[in-house]
Amino acid sequence: MFYREAGQYKASYGADQAIFPIAQDRFVVLAGMAVAFLVVPFLASEYTYRAVLIPTVILTLAAIGLNVLMGYCGQVSLGSGAFMGVGAYAAFNLAIRLPFLNPLVCILLSGFVAAAIGIAFGIPSLRIKGFYLACATLAAQFFGDWAFLRIKWVTNHTPSGSVNAPPIQMFGYDLSSPTATYLIALTITIVLGLAAKNIVRGHIGRQWMAIRDMDIAAEIIGVRPLFAKLSAFAVSSFLIGVAGAMWAFLYLGSWEPAAFSIDRSFQLMFMVIIGGLGSILGSALGAIFIVLLPIFLNQALPPLGALIGWKISTATVSHFESMIFGALIVFFLVVEPHGLARLWSVAKEKLRLWPFPH
Amino acid sequence: MAIPGEGRSRVFDEVLLSVENISLSFGGVRALSDISFDIRKGEIRAIIGPNGAGKSSMLNCINGFYHPQQGAITYKGVRRARMRPHEAAAQGIARTFQNIALFKGMSTLDNIMTGRNLRMKSGLFWQALRIGPAAREEIEHRRVVERIIDFLEIQHIRKAPVGQLPYGLQKRVELGRALAAEPELLLLDEPMAGMNLEEKQDMCRFVLDVNDEFGTTICLIEHDMGVVMDISDRVVVLDYGRKIGDGVPDTVKNDKAVIEAYLGVSH
Amino acid sequence: MGFFIEVLIGGLLAGVLYSLVALGFVLIFKASGVFNFAQGAMVLAAALALVRALEVMQVQWHWPFGLALPAAFAFAAAVMALIAWAAERLVLRKLVNQEGIILFMATIGVTFFIEGLAQTVFGADVYPLNIGLPKEPIFLLESLFEGGVLVNELDIWAAVIAGLLVAGLAVFFQRTRIGRALRAVADDHAAAQSVGIALNQIWFIVWLVAGLVALAAGAVWGSKLGVQFSLTLLALKALPVLILGGFTSVPGAIVGGLIIGAGEKLAEVFLGPSMGGGIEIWFAYVVALLFLLVRPQGLFGERIIERV
Repeated sequence: MFYREAGQYKASYGADQAIFPIAQDRFVVLAGMAVAFLVVPFLASEYTYRAVLIPTVILTLAAIGLNVLMGYCGQVSLGSGAFMGVGAYAAFNLAIRLPFLNPLVCILLSGFVAAAIGIAFGIPSLRIKGFYLACATLAAQFFGDWAFLRIKWVTNHTPSGSVNAPPIQMFGYDLSSPTATYLIALTITIVLGLAAKNIVRGHIGRQWMAIRDMDIAAEIIGVRPLFAKLSAFAVSSFLIGVAGAMWAFLYLGSWEPAAFSIDRSFQLMFMVIIGGLGSILGSALGAIFIVLLPIFLNQALPPLGALIGWKISTATVSHFESMIFGALIVFFLVVEPHGLARLWSVAKEKLRLWPFPH
Repeated sequence: MAIPGEGRSRVFDEVLLSVENISLSFGGVRALSDISFDIRKGEIRAIIGPNGAGKSSMLNCINGFYHPQQGAITYKGVRRARMRPHEAAAQGIARTFQNIALFKGMSTLDNIMTGRNLRMKSGLFWQALRIGPAAREEIEHRRVVERIIDFLEIQHIRKAPVGQLPYGLQKRVELGRALAAEPELLLLDEPMAGMNLEEKQDMCRFVLDVNDEFGTTICLIEHDMGVVMDISDRVVVLDYGRKIGDGVPDTVKNDKAVIEAYLGVSH
Repeated sequence: MGFFIEVLIGGLLAGVLYSLVALGFVLIFKASGVFNFAQGAMVLAAALALVRALEVMQVQWHWPFGLALPAAFAFAAAVMALIAWAAERLVLRKLVNQEGIILFMATIGVTFFIEGLAQTVFGADVYPLNIGLPKEPIFLLESLFEGGVLVNELDIWAAVIAGLLVAGLAVFFQRTRIGRALRAVADDHAAAQSVGIALNQIWFIVWLVAGLVALAAGAVWGSKLGVQFSLTLLALKALPVLILGGFTSVPGAIVGGLIIGAGEKLAEVFLGPSMGGGIEIWFAYVVALLFLLVRPQGLFGERIIERV
C-alpha cells in the first residue's frame, strides 16, 4: 500500500538508471541520513558512540571494501585485516612525516597507499583462483602482521610497537569529541559508500561481476582480467585502507599491530557473508549485526546462565560468540547466500503487494 | 530469402579470416590436425561434424582461447600471433557458447550492457561520481542496448536475473550480449541446440537478420542439418579433427566422405 | 656444518607435523572437492577431547594409564565421528552442487563453530598432554660431527607415525572398495551416484578419516606443545604446504610439508636476523605464493584444461 512504484513512470534512461529509482527508496534513504546526522547526535551517550555507533560506521566502510572484492569481483580475501593495518600505518606515517597535513587528509591519502599495496597483492589473482587465492591473501595478512611489528620505520621506531594518532582538528577547532568523531566517520563512510555504489552499477562494476560469474566468458567478450581484477583490488583496498585509518585515528587513538590481525579479516568476511555478498546495503547491515551481537551476548548470556545455575565467564561468552558466528555463516550460506540484504529485498517485494497479495 | 534446402547461393570474395594447417593437441590427444579453411566477409559459414569432431576446439582457436601448436590464423589480412581472448574480442570477434555462459548473477540488461564493455571508456573517478562523461556514456550505450533488446524481442525480461530465464530466452540473451559488441565476426556455438521447432525458427530468423541488416559475418556450429543447409552459404565438415569436406551446402550434402562420416560405412 | 644439519633436521621434523595436518585437508579435498578450512579446528577439538578425557579417567576415575590411554583415544575418535556426522548432515548435504568457494566459506563457519564448542565443552586453558611418547633430546651422528646433532625423540616418533599414516592411507585409497568409491566420488559425484555409490555415506567416511588424522596430529602436536588454542594457528601452516604439494596429492602433502618445514627453519636462522627476525610466520606463505605463480597446480597436482 505504501511501497508501490505504480504510477512512477520513467521518461528517460537517465531516470531509469538513477541510484534509487523508486521514490519511497529515496525518501527512506534521505530520512535515514537525516536521523543519522541530525537526530542521533542529540540522543547518543558517550558509551553508545564508543561501543556501537563509531565502530559500526567505520566497519561498514571496511565491509563495503571487502564486498567490492568478494561480493562483486568474486575474489575471496582473508587479508582485509592487514589492509586496514596498511591504511592505519600509512596515515600514521603521513601524519608524522608531513606534520603540516591535516590528520583527516592523512586518512584519505592512506587509502591510496593501501590501493597501491592492494594491487601488488592482487597480482597472484591473475594466475590463481578460488581457495588458492584465499590462501595467497593469507600471505598478505601474515606479512602485514610481521611488517607492522618488525619493520621499525613503520612504527617510527617506537620501542613498544604501540603508536598514537595525532589529535583530530580542523581550522583550529578540536574535533575529538565523540559526536564530532562520529559525524566525521559517518560523512566519510556515506560519501565513499555512495561512490562505491556508483562504481558497482557502472561498466567497471559490470566487468567485476562478469569476472565473478564466469571469468572465461568475460574474457571472451573482451573484459581484460588484468584490469578488472586489479581495479577491484585497488578500489577494495582503498576503501578498506581508509576504514583502517579511521579505525586507528578516530576509534582506537593508540594501537598495536594486533588490532589488524587475522581475526579482523574474519570479522569483515562475516559481515560480508551475513550482510549479503554483492550488496552495498548488506555491508552496512552485516556491520551493524556483527557489532551488536557480542554486546547483546555479553548482556544477555550471564543472566540467562544464572537462571539455570551456570556461571558464564567472559571467556565462555566469547566461545559462544564464536559458535554463533560459525553457525550463522553456515546458515546464511545454506539458506540465503545473499544475506540480510536479500531478506530486505524480499521484504520490499512483499511490501509492494501488501495488503493485497494478488 | 532462402529457398529451403537450396542453400543461399550468394558469392563472397573478400577473405575475413583464414585458417592454415592448424593442429591442436592436449597432452597426447589430437583435437585438430592440419585444418585449413577460410571465412569470407559477409557470409554465413557453418562448421558441422559428429560429436568430438573438434568443432568447438576450432572456435576456441579462432577466438584465442586455445593456442594451436602448428599452423596460423590470419584475420583481416594480418597473421596473428598468440593472443588472449580479450584481444580477439577487441579486434571484433564475438561469440556465444554451447553451454550457455551468461553472467548468472546479473540481469538481462546488465548482461547485454557488459557486451559493450570494450566501447565504454570512462575511468574510475568519473564512475565513482557518475556525472559528466560517465553518466552520458551510460545513457548512450543504454540506447544501443535497448535497440538490441527490441531486435531480439526480449523487452519483457529486461530486468529479470538471467539465471531464472528459460533456456531458449537465455540463448537469446547470450546472442544479444555478443551483438552488443557490434562484432565483425560472430561465432555461434550450437545456437539452436536443445530448442523446440518454434524457438529454432526464431533463432534462424535472428541469425539471418543479423547477417542481412548489420552485414555481420557469421560462423556457426550446428547439428540440425536442415537448419545448416537452409541458412549457411558454405559448410566445412570436420571428423575426428580432420577436414573431410568444404563447399556450398549442395556439394557437401552429396559428398561421399561426409555421408560416410554421418551414417557410418560398412567395411 | 653440524649446526646447519641440526637446523635442517629440526625443520624437516617440524615439517612432518605440518604434513600430518595437511594430510587431513588432502583427504577431504580429494573425496569431496571441499577445501576444509576446519581441519585446524578439528585438530584442536580432537586434542582437547583426548587430553581432557585422559585427565578425567586418570585423576577422577583412577584408571591405570594403560587402560585410560586407549579409552581416551576411543572417546576422542567418537567425538570426531560426531563432528563428521554433523558436518555431513548439516553442512555438506545442504550445499551439494554449490561452488567450491561457497563450501570453503562454509567450512570457515564450521571452524568457528567447532572452536567455540570445543572450548566451551572441554575448556580453554593450556593442557599438557602425555601419551607415553618419549621426549628426551638425543644426539645423532656424533661420529660425524663434533657434538653431533641434537634431535628431540618425540619428533622422530612423529615422523614414524606420519609415515605409517601415509602408508595406511595409500593402501586404503588404492586397495579397498571404499577407497575406490572415494576416488570415483572425487572424479564426478553425480556419475558416482548413478553407479550406486551413496554419496552421503562416503562423505561421512572421508570426514571421519580426516578426523582421525586430525586426532593423530593433535596427539603429536599436543604432546610437543601442550594442547591449546594456538594449535589452530599451526594448522594454518598446512595451507602453504598444500599449495606447494598440490591439493589432491598425498605424497605432495608429505614432500610439501618437509620443504616448508625445512625452508622456514633455515630461513629463520640464516635470513631472519638480517630482516629483524620472526620471518617464520610469513616465509612459508611467500614461498608458496611464488611457487603458485610458476606452477599453479602444485608439485604433484594435475594440470587442469579449461573448456568452454
